[in-house]
Amino acid sequence: MVNEFVAMSVAQITSGIKSKDFSAREVVESSMRAIEALDDSIHAFLQTTPEMAFEAADRIDEKVARGEELPLLAGVPAAFKDNMNQLGTRTTCGSKMLANYESAFTATCVSKMVDAGVLPLGKLNMDEFAFGSSTETSYFGRTFNPWDLERVPGGSSGGSAAAIAAGLATLTLGSDTGGSIRQPASFCGVVGMKPTYGVVSRYGVVAFGSSLDQVGPFGKSVEDVAYALNALKGRDPLDCTSQHIETDFLANLGQGVEGMPIGVVPEFMEAEGLTDEVKSAMAKAVEALAEMGAEIIEVSLPNAHASLSAYYVIGPCEAFSNLSRFDSVRYGNRVPSTELGDQYEKSRADGFGSEAKRRIMLGSYLLSSGVYDKYYYPAQQIRTLITQDYRKAYEKVDAIILPSSPRTAFKFGEVSDPMSMYLSDIFTISLNIAGNGGLSQPIALGSETGLPIGAQIVGPQFKDENTLRVAAALERYFGVSTLAPIVQGKSKEVRA
Amino acid sequence: MTLSEKDVRDIATYTRIGLTDEEVVTMTRDLNDIIANLEPITQYDLEGVEPTFHPIAGLVNVMREDVPQPGFTQEEALANSESTEDGAFRIPTILGGGDN
Amino acid sequence: MKKLEEVLQDWEAVIGLEIHTELTTLKTKMFCSCPIEFGAEPNTHTCPICLGMPGALPVPNKAAIESIVLAGLATNCDIEKRSMFYRKNYFYPDMTKNFQTTQGPVAFCMRGHLDLEVFGAAANERHGLGSLEVGESSDNIVRTEDGYVASVGITRIHMEEDAGKMVHVGGVDGRISGATHSLIDFNRCGVPLIELVTEPDLRTPAEARLFMQKLRSIFLAIGISDCSMEEGSMRCDGNISLRKRGTKEFGTKTELKNMNSFKNLHDGLAYEICRQAEVLESGGKIQQETRHWEPANKRTITMRVKETADDYRLFPEPDLAPYDLSDEFIDNVRAKLPELPHEKQARYMAENGLSRSDSALIADDVAYARFFDEALKVDASMAKPVANMLVNEVAAHINATGASFDELKIDPAGLIGLCKLIAGGTISNKQGKQVFAEMVVSGESAESIVEAKGMKQVSDEGLIEGIVDEIIAANPDKVAAYRGGKTGLSGFFIGQVMRQTKGQANPKVVNELVIRKLEG
Repeated sequence: MVNEFVAMSVAQITSGIKSKDFSAREVVESSMRAIEALDDSIHAFLQTTPEMAFEAADRIDEKVARGEELPLLAGVPAAFKDNMNQLGTRTTCGSKMLANYESAFTATCVSKMVDAGVLPLGKLNMDEFAFGSSTETSYFGRTFNPWDLERVPGGSSGGSAAAIAAGLATLTLGSDTGGSIRQPASFCGVVGMKPTYGVVSRYGVVAFGSSLDQVGPFGKSVEDVAYALNALKGRDPLDCTSQHIETDFLANLGQGVEGMPIGVVPEFMEAEGLTDEVKSAMAKAVEALAEMGAEIIEVSLPNAHASLSAYYVIGPCEAFSNLSRFDSVRYGNRVPSTELGDQYEKSRADGFGSEAKRRIMLGSYLLSSGVYDKYYYPAQQIRTLITQDYRKAYEKVDAIILPSSPRTAFKFGEVSDPMSMYLSDIFTISLNIAGNGGLSQPIALGSETGLPIGAQIVGPQFKDENTLRVAAALERYFGVSTLAPIVQGKSKEVRA
Repeated sequence: MTLSEKDVRDIATYTRIGLTDEEVVTMTRDLNDIIANLEPITQYDLEGVEPTFHPIAGLVNVMREDVPQPGFTQEEALANSESTEDGAFRIPTILGGGDN
Repeated sequence: MKKLEEVLQDWEAVIGLEIHTELTTLKTKMFCSCPIEFGAEPNTHTCPICLGMPGALPVPNKAAIESIVLAGLATNCDIEKRSMFYRKNYFYPDMTKNFQTTQGPVAFCMRGHLDLEVFGAAANERHGLGSLEVGESSDNIVRTEDGYVASVGITRIHMEEDAGKMVHVGGVDGRISGATHSLIDFNRCGVPLIELVTEPDLRTPAEARLFMQKLRSIFLAIGISDCSMEEGSMRCDGNISLRKRGTKEFGTKTELKNMNSFKNLHDGLAYEICRQAEVLESGGKIQQETRHWEPANKRTITMRVKETADDYRLFPEPDLAPYDLSDEFIDNVRAKLPELPHEKQARYMAENGLSRSDSALIADDVAYARFFDEALKVDASMAKPVANMLVNEVAAHINATGASFDELKIDPAGLIGLCKLIAGGTISNKQGKQVFAEMVVSGESAESIVEAKGMKQVSDEGLIEGIVDEIIAANPDKVAAYRGGKTGLSGFFIGQVMRQTKGQANPKVVNELVIRKLEG
């Protein structure tokens, strides 16, 4: 049993429901069947919420029956990373710490999607508290890459990427602190976008690095992602850093790149650790852009190589403080004791995995007096330099293309020491440091591994329409990404 | 080596994470490894460079009006706690506190 | 232990205060929209934000920022346009996030000061005052006729949030040590709190108490808090160290807590100064520690020893936007700045001829001052009698009944009416007191009470003279005694006349007539 709607786009689903070709209820039934059939092998979902999905479907179907206007994403099956609070669900963050935590409210990004008419299917697996690049650190077990079940889906939003690649949902949400949307999108061969910091409200998304975190959508196509972003964008009175956004992200997808100045960063295209297949796929993508009329311009990001160390200062410092609230008193894992300090230590030791412990302790050390001036303060100064680098580059170009990841998906356990794992985020991190937006667009299957390769398109702050426009052009050139083989053999071709 | 095992124990105490002796050893190794990789930061000439604490330039003075909104009921507030009593959160004995 | 005066001969006390004030007049908390209400059922004024639920984010209350700027303007601070919130990270169960959102090196208000007028008994604690001429200055003080003026620096006032309340169960007196467990109520968690830190400019417990009193009257006047020391909406901690007279270097300080009244503030500091002197004089060393004032036992005890400086891992709060206050914002707040108590006092003295003590009493109390200012608008010529009524009758009535000023059924025009009846001689001062007591309860006007009770004062000389003559005639022996030199007996005759007239005779007239007749 597979999902007969998997290959449909957002537009096809909403118009099919509007024209009564099928009902929203049928979409839920089909999605739930697909999850049942495939998710034992993929493990993208930590929980499913069929009652909520059916309830949402009934609301849509009633609207259709009454001939009422339908919301933007009416009847689109969707799911959320499990660091997003949603009333009626647990929000575990992939951690034992929150294994039994019932959401006490709903995150703005989730309520915006639900208000836009999506059918909420459930919550998706992730690295514990989003600390990781492989979804291997989830307390509830790893997620498998639908392209090759021996490989990781990337992370930390591994469940969100895998669910799209396996056709278990049409739209999913992830969060990206250092590449946690773009890297798994690349590993799973789907489109994943981290908008500019401030485009989407962070309210209700369990914080990792508050000045780095940003919520974004995954989808099969650029257009689907643009639909989601239109629903998600905008100022939320509950998030001081969210911004009023007027842009219609669907507006210029068809515009093409003719005459558009697009940057390439030579030091990134030749970076150490970049595999040959990624290198050649990237070269082809640049050629394709040139062929479509883009003006390819070399730009320099001289300070970008410092972003990894800046990130591993700022991220852990913010995380250390954000994770202090998990103390067993009001919620979360509790190992009872007769003394509070002892209860704290036992509950946190038992509730947090080793990566979480490492980052908490690292952050605490880096902020301690004397050390603050050696690492934290300079890291924020380097942030200024990196931001200036990007600003300077964008005086010449409207977008920049660079790899999403140095390589395709790796095997479970293949990258084990923390530092090597951190290096897999080398191309994505500088964007979070600068607060700019970017996305990963599938451009090829690797010539050696046969696994998806993503190109990362990044743009100036609050110019996320530029990155979508370039990605849409590449998508037209290379074709919409295919679903993972695990689905392809079984799904019926419905694409028009 | 930047951090000794004693340093790591102190950090564990401060962050309220109980570590076994074995964990202290691996944690010390991992943290020193990571800190060594942060060295590039200390090499930069950053004289006169302003820090960027917030990624959105020019974002200032974001505030709300002083208007009450409904929040949790007592039941909702306590719902996720495993230890409550008489409408309050119940905690065991506090040692070494006393600041209140 | 030596007495304070004795200790201060040899030792100079260096005192700084940290004063926390909850902005209780606001409607909502600092970073969320939960209502501020005291005495509610536990944990009924919480939400994801103040309960620190995962994923919740703070949004600052604009009115709280206006309040702190107002506090800064009222205490002569520089308003820093650019500042940020920081996270102060430490675990304590009354904080939901295990960090307190507060400010960093730059606070909204910096570098202020208050001038304290110290006179009377309060000035006695200051050592070496006698060697100064009037107008002469030394350190931060200037000698005045009956005391001195001390200028006390304010380092900063910063914005932060309050913690929840804990009840410690199973121990003695609700103390934390010895308790079996504790219960936490987060209704107070997140209530806007401003912390004022003074320079170590205070030298005596009396100065510390005066500073606190003056600050409280200012904060009440600008309306940012109910400033209740008993209920903890205004809390004061003291930092105290001693140094030998004539030396410059600071000694090791202790921090003193639980001084929840002006008296406790004074007595706690005085005790701690004497205790430190005793330790030092017996060759001991002061331990850097936090101590707790026990009013019942009149002593301070160790709460927490600080071996190393606390490391709070302070860093800028990434979830909150920095501040860059506009001139317009600050000017709008400045426009709300009322006349401050010391300004009012100066005006009452200069324009209305009030005494220093009466004017201070009225000016320092918002309700009295508002009433008095309204009365001045009705009839400024009655300023002094109205002030007299306020500081005597009104104050006594409030003390005796525990009523609040607002509950008194008397308005400025009504009180002026009463004062005019007294000034015009219609009723005596004594009758005035009776009428006042009636007015505040019934709300009737003075005129109608006097009318209804037939209390009009008798000033008719002819009528009074007849009564005087009768009494003199009836007491020839006393008249003889008077004339023989026992002039104190005039009181007997006056009293007899007043009794016969049921107290309604004008005492002044009676007095004159009695003396004239006796002398005659």
